[in-house]
Amino acid sequence: MSFERDLLAILPRLRRFAASLSRDRADGDDLCQAALEKALKARDQWQPGTRLDSWMYRIMRNLWIDEARSRQRAARTFAPEEAGEHVGHAGDRDVEAHVMLSDVDRAMHALPDEQREAIALVLVEGLSYKEAADVLGVPMGTLTSRLVRGRGALIEMLGEAA
Amino acid sequence: MTDIDEALLIAWVDGELDDVTRRRVDRAVAEDPSLAQRLEMHRQLRERLSGHYAPVEAEPVPAAMLAVLEESAKVVPLARPAPPRWRQWGIGGAIAASLVLGLGIGRLSGGPAGPVGVKDGVMVAQGRLASALDTQLASAQDGAAIRIGLSFQRKGGGWCRSFEGEAMSGVACREGEGWQMQQLVPGTGQGTDYRQASSGDARVMATVEALMEGAPADARQERAAKEKGWR
Repeated sequence: MSFERDLLAILPRLRRFAASLSRDRADGDDLCQAALEKALKARDQWQPGTRLDSWMYRIMRNLWIDEARSRQRAARTFAPEEAGEHVGHAGDRDVEAHVMLSDVDRAMHALPDEQREAIALVLVEGLSYKEAADVLGVPMGTLTSRLVRGRGALIEMLGEAA
Repeated sequence: MTDIDEALLIAWVDGELDDVTRRRVDRAVAEDPSLAQRLEMHRQLRERLSGHYAPVEAEPVPAAMLAVLEESAKVVPLARPAPPRWRQWGIGGAIAASLVLGLGIGRLSGGPAGPVGVKDGVMVAQGRLASALDTQLASAQDGAAIRIGLSFQRKGGGWCRSFEGEAMSGVACREGEGWQMQQLVPGTGQGTDYRQASSGDARVMATVEALMEGAPADARQERAAKEKGWR
């Protein structure tokens, strides 16, 4: 019982994390739902006394990575949707205008996966570097360099450098 | 030139620096406007990102997710009248049954945006309370801000529903296009465990008891009534 109740308590945050990883809110909810179902099936693997939110972030992130890999395999066969959006645009000016219109969702989506997940955990979820590195299973130095590169790219895309 | 790199500025924004290092960055930033500008840029980015996704956390959790949890927890839906639990509540406290009409509605409900208002001289549900009464099924609502207790037919005909929330609990009956308040009592308070909601308020149960014809609706009857618009 308390397992479900604890999950319910962190569910709003899990949805937020899913939204920040996913292309849109509907994809985010699909991811969150899948993570929830996986967690309930794997509940015996969670060690009481450890943090349930970290465990859930990890499950969700792994599901998302699996999905991203299968997307990439598909992308080798089919042209990505985004390619179409650039048709007809030429020159720096147009590219710049296009970039200026992008919102946060779009900018996040344009980040490499390993930068996006680091940004999502630290800037959106508010995890400490240590917690985030732990969820992602990478050394702190790797996490911080992803945060630096990811932020640089976001600032460029969102036009906040001015 | 300073030895402050991007990683240090970012760690400052993320609250990851120890006191000594933070003061070192503060000093450097105070002396170098371009550094201050970069720090501000990173601070704004973090603010923008967390602000962008914050509304997702504030939204009610989708029913499908709650259903998975409920299924797993094998929670018995509140309104399943297996043994009529509601009969055990209430009776002792029935004396306390009170129609709390004529209160200062504005104060009670938080003004026109609140869950209760006065229309044509009667107290009616509005906003989130009205939509909960319209659409929420007692059998699928864990985690909802306002929970439906029982749905039932009143003596003389017409649907009524009891509800519970942080701010108020009560009973409302369908009248025309809206829900007319039959009773309103203080709610369950903040931070109530979602499982304990089934305990019910004795006064509300007494009102239900007094109004109800027969037994409360089961999940199927409730769904059918909702589909017919509670007519």
